[in-house]
Amino acid sequence: MEIKTINTTNISTFFNQLVQSGKIVIAPVLKKSGKIFFERVQSYNQIETDYIQTAFSAKSVVFPKVEELFSYSKTTDNFETKQSLSDIPETVVWGLRPCDSAAFNYMTRFFMDENPDIYFATRKERTTLIAISCAKSDEACFCTSVGLDPGKTKGSDIQLTLMGNEYYVEVITEKGLSAIKTSESLFTSSTEKSKEKYLAEPTTKFSIEEIKEKMQNAYDNVAWGQESMGCVGCGACAFACPTCTCFDIQDEGTGENGKRIRCWDACGFSQFTKHASGHNPKPNQTARRRQRLLHKFKYSVENIGMVSCVGCGRCIRICPAHLNIFENILNVTKA
Amino acid sequence: MKLLQNKVAELFKNGTINLMIGFKNALNKQVVPCFIENSSQAEQLIYTADCKNNLSVYLHKPEVKKIKKVGIIGNIATLRSLIQLTSENQLWDIEQTILTVNEKDEIILFKNMREVETYVQTYFPENHTEEDKKLLEYIDSLPREERWKYWMEQFSTCIKCYACRAVCPMCYCTQCTVECNQPQWIKISSETTGNLEWHIMRAMHLAGRCIECGECGRVCPVGIPIHLLTTKMNQELFKEFATRPGFSLKGEYAMNTFKPEDKEGFIK
Repeated sequence: MEIKTINTTNISTFFNQLVQSGKIVIAPVLKKSGKIFFERVQSYNQIETDYIQTAFSAKSVVFPKVEELFSYSKTTDNFETKQSLSDIPETVVWGLRPCDSAAFNYMTRFFMDENPDIYFATRKERTTLIAISCAKSDEACFCTSVGLDPGKTKGSDIQLTLMGNEYYVEVITEKGLSAIKTSESLFTSSTEKSKEKYLAEPTTKFSIEEIKEKMQNAYDNVAWGQESMGCVGCGACAFACPTCTCFDIQDEGTGENGKRIRCWDACGFSQFTKHASGHNPKPNQTARRRQRLLHKFKYSVENIGMVSCVGCGRCIRICPAHLNIFENILNVTKA
Repeated sequence: MKLLQNKVAELFKNGTINLMIGFKNALNKQVVPCFIENSSQAEQLIYTADCKNNLSVYLHKPEVKKIKKVGIIGNIATLRSLIQLTSENQLWDIEQTILTVNEKDEIILFKNMREVETYVQTYFPENHTEEDKKLLEYIDSLPREERWKYWMEQFSTCIKCYACRAVCPMCYCTQCTVECNQPQWIKISSETTGNLEWHIMRAMHLAGRCIECGECGRVCPVGIPIHLLTTKMNQELFKEFATRPGFSLKGEYAMNTFKPEDKEGFIK
């Protein structure tokens, strides 16, 4: 790892040089609706710098909401399929939070561990993550409860931390090094410093070891009913979540030509587990909400060895019925 | 607040209700819908200007229907939905007890739907926010091509989480057209044409039935003002047929009612 600093004037030059290098740069943008989204930008002055968290995560860079797997076409004597992996562009994600970078780590485990997914792999390979440590947090943030913190560098290629009028720059990976290569003169070499006093201190806290332990026997807890009563069964939480990776494969087209696509799916939908026979093993919202929470805190621990919640708080901020994953967890593990 | 809590506790004690749907403060102090199951839980209940969710959507939940005797604390959105749902004969299988708190902080326990109807007609003749009116006027003022562009841009951001459908009390079909795949009427993918199809279908199904609570727009995670589509359609229907959904138990639904004196002659 290399440690550098860059002043706040040079940071915009660095950003604009990334754009000029021909890479697609995705960064937080404030929209008319007052919400902040990751969007492709052309210049530093388009981006939002004062935010706690974006409404949606940056997962669509490696796991798009709709992804073409291949297209097909048929002529009288020929049948052709076409994969467009080579069109996937080099992308830089700017300004994601440490929790989001950690989520990329989880997604890599999910998509790559057993049967490596070539679409994810290609996108991930061509993506550079430039994270910015959090100076502020709100009541929905709980990263420190799930083994992360507002300055954690896990998953990031470069991490920036604002310290007064300069950014402390941790260049963590080879990809990070190559991203600053053409802008080297903007940076000053530095030594390791403590980031602590510049970081946010999330106030919402639980003990993850205790929760993991109690989740083992939480399946039959009657509290699931009460905790999921407010759930209206939409997919907002799953779509905003940086670690929700469920998808649905669909064919769109005719016998002559069309495409196979992969779309986001969500365990909150009543159709999600419905069998062709008509039977639905998750027949109500209680069972669906329980699946979501147990997946995050029990099943993924068993399957991959890590909790698949990074405490970004997006599901809490986005829920139409204001369901709070944090409160839900505490209540279903009580007694 | 205490008055409301005592009233609800009393309703549990005398066996009128087995569940009360209302509002409480969550751990983080946010106002959230809550589901009170007995008199001792009634002390969680609150009612303030921040109680905005339309609670009537929960009356469609199988978990709630099973309980049968259900109380509900109605803000204006909820009350208007209850009127519309009653007129569409959707609440026959639930014994609902309806409460509200008026601006003098008095508890009103409605004896029947007729009283709800009178209350809404007397105190809430208007239900559009200034912000909505302004945006609607702006969209109306655009030339047709610009208006199309405006909505296409909005729809392109839709992620098809169906939160708009999930919070809408008038979207009570047990199987939605989007879930039908033989044939696949509407694409699963959330891309511009599929999104357009979904929003047109949604608006058409709600035309003249939407009670304009604005929940769909409030909950949209990407911030599409979709409630304005149905609001606009309601305005058009009001002009042509003088119907206002959620105001009358008569249930005059312009899109499926025929009167001999109608202007159009095609059906005769």
